[in-house]
Amino acid sequence: MAGGYRQQPGASSGAVRKDGKRVAGKQKFPPPGSGGSRPTMAPRDLDSIPESVGGKEPQPAGSHIHDRYRTGTEVGKPRALVDSHAKVTGQAWYGDDVRLPNEIIGKILRSPHHYAKIKSIDTSKVEALPGVLAVATGADAPNTFGVLPVTKDEHAMAVEKVRHVGDLVACVAAVDEATAMEALNLFEIEWEVLDPIFDPRKGLEDQDEPIHWRGKYHVGTTNVQKRVFQEFGDRSLVDDPTASSHGKWRMEGVHHGFTEPHAVVAHWDPNGRLQLYTPQQVPHYAHRALSTVLEVPMHQINVIRTFVGGGFGGKSDPFPHEMCAAILSRKAGRPVRINFSREEVYWINRGRHPSYIEVKMTADEEARISGFDIDALIDGGGFASFGHVTSYYNGVLATAPYELGSFHYTGARVWTNKPASGAMRGHGAVNTRCAVEVGLDEMAEQMQVDPIDLRLANLLPPHSRTISGFRITSNGMREALERVREGSDWDTKFRQMPLGKGIGIGCGFFISGSGLPIHWDPNRFPHATVHIQIDMDGGVTVHTGAADIGQGSTTAVAQVVSEVLALPIEMIHVRSHESDTSPVDLGSYSSRVTFMNANAAIRAALDIREKLLNAAWEMLGYHPDVLVLNDRRIYYKHDPAVGVSYLEALHKAQEDKGSLISSGAYRSPPMGGVHKGAAAGLAPAYSFSAYVAEVDVDVDTGLVSCTNVWAAHDCGKALNPLAVEGQIIGSCHMGLGQVLSEKMVYGRTGHLQNPNLLEYKIPSVHEMPHVTPIIVESSDPEGPFGAKEAGEGPLLPILPAVVNAVYDAIGVRIRELPLTPDVVWKAISAKTKSLGGIDESELPSPRLEHSPLQATLVARGQEHKERDRRRQRSEDTSAYVNGVLFGFDPDRPLEDQVDGWKSAVEPVPEQLAELGLAGKAWLKKEQRQMGGDQ
Amino acid sequence: MMLMPPFNLHHPKTVEEACELAATFLANKESFDWVAGGTDLLPNYKWHINVKTHVISLANIPGLDTISMHEIGAMARLGALTTSENVHPLIAFAASKVASSLVRNNATLGGNICLDTRCFWINQSEDWRRSIDWCHKEDCGTGSDCRVIPNQNTLCVATYQGDLAPSLMVLEGTIHIIGPNGPRSLPVDEFFQLDGITRNVLQEGEFVLKVTFPEDVANRTGSYKKLRVRESWDFPEAGVASSWISGDPSSLRVASTALESIPRLHQEEVDALGTSFSKEHIPQLSEAIMKSIKPVNNTALPPRYRKSMVRVLAKRSLREILGD
Repeated sequence: MAGGYRQQPGASSGAVRKDGKRVAGKQKFPPPGSGGSRPTMAPRDLDSIPESVGGKEPQPAGSHIHDRYRTGTEVGKPRALVDSHAKVTGQAWYGDDVRLPNEIIGKILRSPHHYAKIKSIDTSKVEALPGVLAVATGADAPNTFGVLPVTKDEHAMAVEKVRHVGDLVACVAAVDEATAMEALNLFEIEWEVLDPIFDPRKGLEDQDEPIHWRGKYHVGTTNVQKRVFQEFGDRSLVDDPTASSHGKWRMEGVHHGFTEPHAVVAHWDPNGRLQLYTPQQVPHYAHRALSTVLEVPMHQINVIRTFVGGGFGGKSDPFPHEMCAAILSRKAGRPVRINFSREEVYWINRGRHPSYIEVKMTADEEARISGFDIDALIDGGGFASFGHVTSYYNGVLATAPYELGSFHYTGARVWTNKPASGAMRGHGAVNTRCAVEVGLDEMAEQMQVDPIDLRLANLLPPHSRTISGFRITSNGMREALERVREGSDWDTKFRQMPLGKGIGIGCGFFISGSGLPIHWDPNRFPHATVHIQIDMDGGVTVHTGAADIGQGSTTAVAQVVSEVLALPIEMIHVRSHESDTSPVDLGSYSSRVTFMNANAAIRAALDIREKLLNAAWEMLGYHPDVLVLNDRRIYYKHDPAVGVSYLEALHKAQEDKGSLISSGAYRSPPMGGVHKGAAAGLAPAYSFSAYVAEVDVDVDTGLVSCTNVWAAHDCGKALNPLAVEGQIIGSCHMGLGQVLSEKMVYGRTGHLQNPNLLEYKIPSVHEMPHVTPIIVESSDPEGPFGAKEAGEGPLLPILPAVVNAVYDAIGVRIRELPLTPDVVWKAISAKTKSLGGIDESELPSPRLEHSPLQATLVARGQEHKERDRRRQRSEDTSAYVNGVLFGFDPDRPLEDQVDGWKSAVEPVPEQLAELGLAGKAWLKKEQRQMGGDQ
Repeated sequence: MMLMPPFNLHHPKTVEEACELAATFLANKESFDWVAGGTDLLPNYKWHINVKTHVISLANIPGLDTISMHEIGAMARLGALTTSENVHPLIAFAASKVASSLVRNNATLGGNICLDTRCFWINQSEDWRRSIDWCHKEDCGTGSDCRVIPNQNTLCVATYQGDLAPSLMVLEGTIHIIGPNGPRSLPVDEFFQLDGITRNVLQEGEFVLKVTFPEDVANRTGSYKKLRVRESWDFPEAGVASSWISGDPSSLRVASTALESIPRLHQEEVDALGTSFSKEHIPQLSEAIMKSIKPVNNTALPPRYRKSMVRVLAKRSLREILGD
């Protein structure tokens, strides 16, 4: 094929440059015959090529490292998720859709006691029941597991004791469900019932029988699972504040409320390998835990991730029922299926922690935020789960987006005899974020300034560092605030609406991928790996372990590969279901998937691209630098008629090797501090968001309805704006549930009173406000094509926005979530009583008279806007660390500049007396310090 | 455990056949339930709450689903009531507030009237109820205590959360019942009977045939106010219906639901007003109604709040019928 594939240019589309030359790619070409769905080659879409590489797409935040590889094919275009056809036609196979020949049904016997020792289990009657094929108890799998290697405290089934009502005791597999259920009644168990604890505050006290025992690291004989202390900055700044807010919050636990209950099928194949089908967010951790519990090498296990009917963090732990299915299947020699009822879903829980949060905030005479003091006591339930991380996140994720004079955090997570709390969308950051944003609102009111201007004058700029050492790269916080202010018509509404109508602001800050992989050193193994394989047909098979849980990670990976190779997305086939064929991936949590997997996929695709261009070089004689990829064709930049089809180049590239194969990986850059816990909350990028919510409050009944939300989220670059808007709207719904109606109710006896979707009140369509999603693109320097997360961050601001709006509507601050009508009504009654028993309709609405400080803040905000613009566009590349606002030099260590500047991870003895509720965990010594258990 | 327990389903074709079936089961001492739309009974069955050996369905008996201003059959679907132009607007409105559209398409008037009482200590799975060692209403032979008010063991305080009953009461509905011993009828407000287990006057083998209304029902203006957290799905946490023939204080009727084990007509409180009814009487009447009820803690919202809300709901309802 010397000379390459030549075509005469077709009729011009009429696009002519000013200098009279043809616009590249605007000619129509006959079909290059390379397959795909379109009959003709698409013209190159200059609207989706960045300005920096000759296109028309504006780049307010400057160019990005991947811009040279933008082909205008996919990125930035609204795209229905690639698996949506399977879902809307009912063909997606969820956990309960898996049917293997010969399968039998497993059922789990659950504890009727909150806390009890198992003295004996007699299974003889169960085994004797006709139809029962396998029975297992804790004795069959004594090895512990847990999602975090540091806190492995779970068993497949209870060994020694049960820790909450619904804890797994034993399991049975039988020919059908009715027999299995009948068998559950035949277990004979001798219990020794222990005294349970339900109140997390009691968990801080020494107990006779702590729920777990951590050996030498156990804190006294309490139920404290993890305690955290962090202190940064100049503590003297909090003295003599101009404004301060002190709030004690009580937040109820909430559950993810995903549609699909857990379901699992386990099958030991004829070669003795375990095939496990499960809707998992993190198949790799389940893989590891299965190996440990079953005592089978990992390569003898294939974890097959089914479609996941919603996860939100609730399907990211390795689960005991997965072990049970495998154990039963091994015993019975037949595939075993276990499906959960909704009660079982609530009993396995892993929802957001019920929390007691205390926040003290201060601002100085220039309305700079001189201090954040946060104390968070979180109720972990029966197991550790992700709790180690949650304990940190409750504090450290409040260190941005504002510049702080000092930061002080004490946190404790305690075990109680309730279903285990875990990771849930917005992991650990949601509750404190709400408390902090409401505190800012209160301080703004004391200083008589607009809360948006207060925020705008205290933001960290792009490319800066937080007080605890997180590296902030792109930062769209300012734009997000400005756009919701404008969109909601804030300036004509705030503090100006009649009683019962209110408007409120809230901001958010969240990680885009956890900087440290849980199981290994990031310097040794990458976070994510993606393999790409192209055979002679030209179809691209992408192997990734990224678990699509409905958020669209498969689509994101397909999109970036499609973008780099300029192939229609229909030609990209993502294979991500099986651990046998997928590279190891850490799964879908901490909003890491798009950032890390798409980055790895881009690397792999670039490798393929290079091979294709080299082949084309050989065929056309033009260097790859002057070759253009566009819709299944590679051509000479200055004469599009000179080119080869994608298939021809591919076949050329395959001449010596057969298939084209490449592999790409992503690893996060080295970053962060060195103090204990520095890795918690560390991420290669952070997302920012600002919401304004409008509410109606019925002052007679206390019913709150949210009517409008303007939701701006900085996701770096919206690879798929449709998916980002979906995430924003979905986050609003989920957050509204937590702020208005959802709670896990533990009644008088400690039982979970509402383990069903009728009484666990997820908002219906009637409660859903009109949401205006606003996408802010700050173009992250390291994100794939500039993208950051959009899955979790957008949830954070809705809570404080609604709570602040309720205050604007009725002038009452409520620090108890959710704001169910009885809670609001009680607060209104207390207020009317305190005002001399006035009628609810006479409640005074809060009003705002600006103080002179307002002008200062507006001026500083303007100044900072210019500062941020320069830093965003890299005109100003000087260092910026938290503290510059307070007059410090960013180039010298802060400790050298001010005496009081410190960074501590343990309290000094003098502090012990002043610590808050969770801080009391520090009054105890660890066993090793007590000379106890070594 | 959402596996439906086994039961024998019977489909009588006539009312007489249904009564005969019931009589046979009674004679043989076999337990049975009636089922109309099944939206209340079957979820309870899936939770293994009071499961019976036989279930007699009324769905195949023709003529039980009449809908008119003066008569509504027991099998009339709530969905049909909400869209019908022939029924009293208050009934249509109250029916439209029941659960969700999916449920309303199946649910019936008779089923809603005979709704089982509810309590968060019983409307749970079998495993869950085992963990609290059962309760008085469904003690599984253990003689368990009431979990809402312990140490009394004589009274079930489960809450009646039907939406339609108060509206039927204030429209002076008459309920028609049939059973092996023949038909009988009585005012709707006399139909309900304490406690949460007894629920109503139905004898074994009896079922509701229809509800009829007096000639002048069309002259009545009515209003129903329902308290709930979500605008869909949720049972009422409190509900107040009122109605009168405009200008005739003696016709005023107010009833409440979802507060105690039975819905109540508040005739005593209304009578205390004397012979007049106007805007000025609303606070007094609302207060009196609130004072007369005693909710307990067994639904989603706390009892004190629900009690206080009765006053608000009564006020709003009464204001509405006054056209204020």
